[in-house]
Order: sequence, then structure tokens, then C-alpha cells
Amino acid sequence: MYDVVIRGGLVVDGSGEAGVLADVAIAGGKIAEIGQGLAAGRREIDAAGRVVAPGFIDPHTHFDVQLLWDGAAKPALEHGVTSIVPGNCSLSLAPLKAADRKAVVGMFQQIEEMPPEAFTIAFDWTWEDFAGYRDAIAKTLSVNVAPLVGHSVIRLFVMGPAAQERTAQPGEVAAMQDLLRECLDAGAVGLSTSFVDVDETGRPVPSRYADSAELDALCAVLGEFGRMLQVVPEFYATDITIARIDQLAELSLRHKIPTTFSPLFDSRGNADNAPRAIARVEEQFARGARVWPQMQTRPIDLSFSLLRPSLFFARLPRWVRVLRQPLAERIAALGDPETSARMIEDAGPDGGLAMFGSLVLRGGDAAPAELTGQTLAQIAEARGQGCARTLIDLSLEHGLDVAFLAASLGHEDTDRIGPMLAHPLVHIGASDGGAHLASFATYGDTGYLFSEFVRKGHLSLEAAVKKITSDTAEIWGLQNRGRLAPGWAADVVVFGADALARGDERPVFDMPGGGMRYTRDARGVDTVLVNGEVAYADGAYTDARSGVICT
Amino acid sequence: MSLTVQRRFVTPMADETLEQLAGRAMPDTPLPEATTLIQGWNLHIFAMRKPRGLMLGSDVVFVEPPLP
Repeated sequence: MYDVVIRGGLVVDGSGEAGVLADVAIAGGKIAEIGQGLAAGRREIDAAGRVVAPGFIDPHTHFDVQLLWDGAAKPALEHGVTSIVPGNCSLSLAPLKAADRKAVVGMFQQIEEMPPEAFTIAFDWTWEDFAGYRDAIAKTLSVNVAPLVGHSVIRLFVMGPAAQERTAQPGEVAAMQDLLRECLDAGAVGLSTSFVDVDETGRPVPSRYADSAELDALCAVLGEFGRMLQVVPEFYATDITIARIDQLAELSLRHKIPTTFSPLFDSRGNADNAPRAIARVEEQFARGARVWPQMQTRPIDLSFSLLRPSLFFARLPRWVRVLRQPLAERIAALGDPETSARMIEDAGPDGGLAMFGSLVLRGGDAAPAELTGQTLAQIAEARGQGCARTLIDLSLEHGLDVAFLAASLGHEDTDRIGPMLAHPLVHIGASDGGAHLASFATYGDTGYLFSEFVRKGHLSLEAAVKKITSDTAEIWGLQNRGRLAPGWAADVVVFGADALARGDERPVFDMPGGGMRYTRDARGVDTVLVNGEVAYADGAYTDARSGVICT
Repeated sequence: MSLTVQRRFVTPMADETLEQLAGRAMPDTPLPEATTLIQGWNLHIFAMRKPRGLMLGSDVVFVEPPLP
């Protein structure tokens, strides 16, 4: 008797081949057999009329800290994601000396928009080395985790404060190599680095101080293990992105490693950006290099209130400075006529119409319900004010708890993006799962792939499944995952082909200390199994803790 | 497949100044002119960054203008 038999579904096995009606039998956490009329299982799952596919793999997340209190990386698991890659963008929670924790928390806060309470009240910070972090999360995992180690933390560990001051000496580079080797031995699946990020004080993160010799030396260590280099390039400038592609290609060829950069966005304002980057990737692959561009499926939407700093104001330094102040000081500054006048001046000669006019008031605990759904331009006109003045005054009138949505800031043209996602050299990823908590929901990109791109004809069901299962596993070198085949790990998702989608974005207050984040529920996902155990079924998480550190 | 021509760039060497980089990357151009040109071709370093002009080891520094 098998442990589990998923009976009568359309088995889309991740290979890209056409789905077949069959049963899937599971024993000992692995796929035992696929065929028709299989023997009984201790647990039977009726999948008639449903798709049975390998669990989805999300290669770009920041669940590093959430995994310490939530081994399911909610809501990733309910969207069918059974394996995640945290530790992107040069940031991980190990190796990290106790004295450097505050600095790294500041970076997570700035870059990934995570509340500091998430790092201080939900767990005991007991480790310094990578193995210690691995063991701390491994106890309660419901998802599989393939962790990257961050270049910035490796640098900080070896160089201390000098990591954000200068290039490294040869002895320091050798120490970083040893440390990276130790992390890879302990289960890291690669190294992440960033060429763009800054910390909470505006200083470049440590990885940006590394010269090309340091990065090359670290990639030599990755080459010993055949492991991945992930980078965040200057995605706002095409020429620089192409230069980064060329750099990655040289590293890939020299050290025989896969590399990936994320994100690659499409935008009407820079229409040749993504096509040029993909064309360069094609040229480099033809040379034998492996440079995988990661492209997200969802459009760029961004929500914010004046309760906290937001990426939305990145081009308005005065607004950022005001919004970074403690609440009482912030309210005082916003209410100060001189300060607010300068802020409004920065928003443009039209009073902020171009910059803020299309914002939609989306709500908030104290937001006036009658204005919900209106644009700021409409509200401003009714008040006889400019848009920037309205944004400030309306927020002040409601204790700053008024949320606005900046919708479709880019990457929103399905007809352009669909063919790119289908491109064999484009890696679907860059969800940022677990980050940017108060700006947008980083969950449900997999569902959106099916609702927006499969059901509108840009990819077949089988091609889409392959893209986010076996392709991802192969790119990252994850062994025995991403396929439904005898002997492979039984990570399985059962879903409705016409129902799989992401739910509406909504705020929840489930972060440590009652902190807020935006989330999305899954639509159309019936059952999710991780290493053969049912981790999610019928709309609820189970007690299964069958996730592992996977390499 | 051969690589198409893309905009030429260099990366800074350890502790290299702008002048040293300009001299290395554009040896046939008078140094003051080379430094001015490089500044103009790399606004991501010399205009958009704070502090302005802070050159980092990981930077891409273009040594020619955008290609037509």
C-alpha cells in the first residue's frame, strides 16, 4: 500500500510534455509510480478534473527571517510553491556576528522594507555561522528551502565596518573565500550580490565595495561547487544591464557556474530594455555562458501611506527624510507650513498632479470610505487643492492611516511580456516573496502566470508548469525536484487549470508585533504536498513539517 | 555566434581614482578631457549617486558615449 495516491488527475509532470490522465503514487516522501489503476494508498486524493503538477519553485525570495517563525513561508505554500530560494540581493542572516546584526537588520529594513520588530521579538538569535541559521530554520519547515548566502554579510563578517569603506586586501579576500566555502558546505546553493542597494543610511551595501578581483575570487569558490551567482543589476539602465550580462558571462565561462540577474522589467517608457537584454543573453548563451535573466509575472503595483517610508518616494529625498522620522516628529513636520511647502515644491510645478494625480485611495483603518476608489486628482479637485497638498492634508486628517495605490507602474503589457516569459532563456522568478511588506504583495505570481499568460494563450499549461518547476530546478541544480517521476521528491500541487489565480491584494496584520503586510490568497489550489506529506488542503494548512534544506 | 559590439566599459581597480582610471582607459586622450568625458558618460556615478562621484569597486564605468 502506498502512503498517498493522487487519483485520476491530468498529470503535467514538469517535462513540458502533454499532460496525461493518471494516478500518482507516493511512498517514503518520493514519487513511487505514475500510471492508471494504481494500488490503494493510506490516503487517497481525488484529482478528477484537476491538474497534478510538481510543486512550484520560487527562485527569488526574502523569507530569511519569516522562516524563523513561519516554516510555511505563508502564503507562498498555499499558492503551490513547495521550494523557495531566500538570501537574495547580497543579504542573508548568516554568517553574521552578533555585533553586526543591527547593521544587517537596517539593510533588510531599507532594501526589503521589513519592520525591525520582525528581527527582534519573534525568535532567539542564537547563531553566527551558516550552519547555525540552517539548523534554526530546519526544525519547523513546511516548505523546502534552498538558501543563498549574501555577499554583503560575508564581507561584513570578514572586514567589519571596513566592508562599507574600501576594497578588500588579499588576505581578506582569502578569508571570504574560506567563509563562502564553509557556507556552501553547510547547504548554501550559491552567493548573492548587489550592485545597486543602499543601507538605511543611504550608504552602498558592502557588496558594492568589492572590486572585480574579489567577485572573481568568490566565483572561483562557487566553481568548486558548481553553484549559482545571483546579482541585482542596475535594472533602470539598459547599457549597464548589458555590461552586467557580459560580466556575468565571463564569470560563468571562467568558473563554469550558472549566474542569474534579477529583476528584468519591461516598460513602455524604455521599450527596448528587456528585448536588448534578452538578445545579449542569447549571444552569451551561444558562447556557452549561463546568464539567466529573471522576470516576474506580475505588473508593478505599489501601495503606501505616510505612516512609513516607501519606495514610491525614492526620487523625492525630502519626502524620504520626513517620512523616516518617528511618528510624532513626522506628523509635526508634515504639519509645518514651511516643510510641507518645500515638499510640495519638490513634487513638481503642477503641484504634484503628474506625480500623484493617478494615485487611487485604497483605504486604511482611518480612511474616509466615501473617497475609496477615487483618484487623488479627483479628490484634490473637489477640495480645491493641488495633489501633493491633498496627499499631505488628507493623511494628516486621518492620522496618516490612508493608503494609496500606484497601479501599473510598469511591466504590465501582457502581449509584450507573454512572449518574453515563454522565451527558453528567460527564467520566471523575481517575486521578492517575503519582502516589501507594506508596498505590495509578493505572493501569487505563479497563479498570475496561469490566469494572465496561460489562459490568454501565451504559454501552454505544460510549458508554464515546466518553467516554474523543472526549468528552475535545473537552472539552480536542485537535485530530484521539479519533476513528477519515480524516485523524485514528492513535491506536488493539485489545482484547477481554469481556476488557478492570485486573489486580491489585501492588508493583514500578522507580522511580529502586529505589523502589517500586503498579501494575496491563492485561488484554485486544492492540495499541496511537500516531500510526500500534505501541507495544505481544502483551504487550510496542516501540521506537516516535511520541508527540508534542499541542495 | 559572435558578440555584437556593445558600449565599452571598465571596472575600477583597487583604490583607483577617477584620474587614474581615465588615464588607463583613455590613454590617448588628454587627462582633463578624459576625466570630464567619463563623468559625462556615467551619470549613475557622477550625478545620481550620493555622495556624488563616489566610485566603487563594483561599478561599471563607460569609457565611450552611448552607441548610436
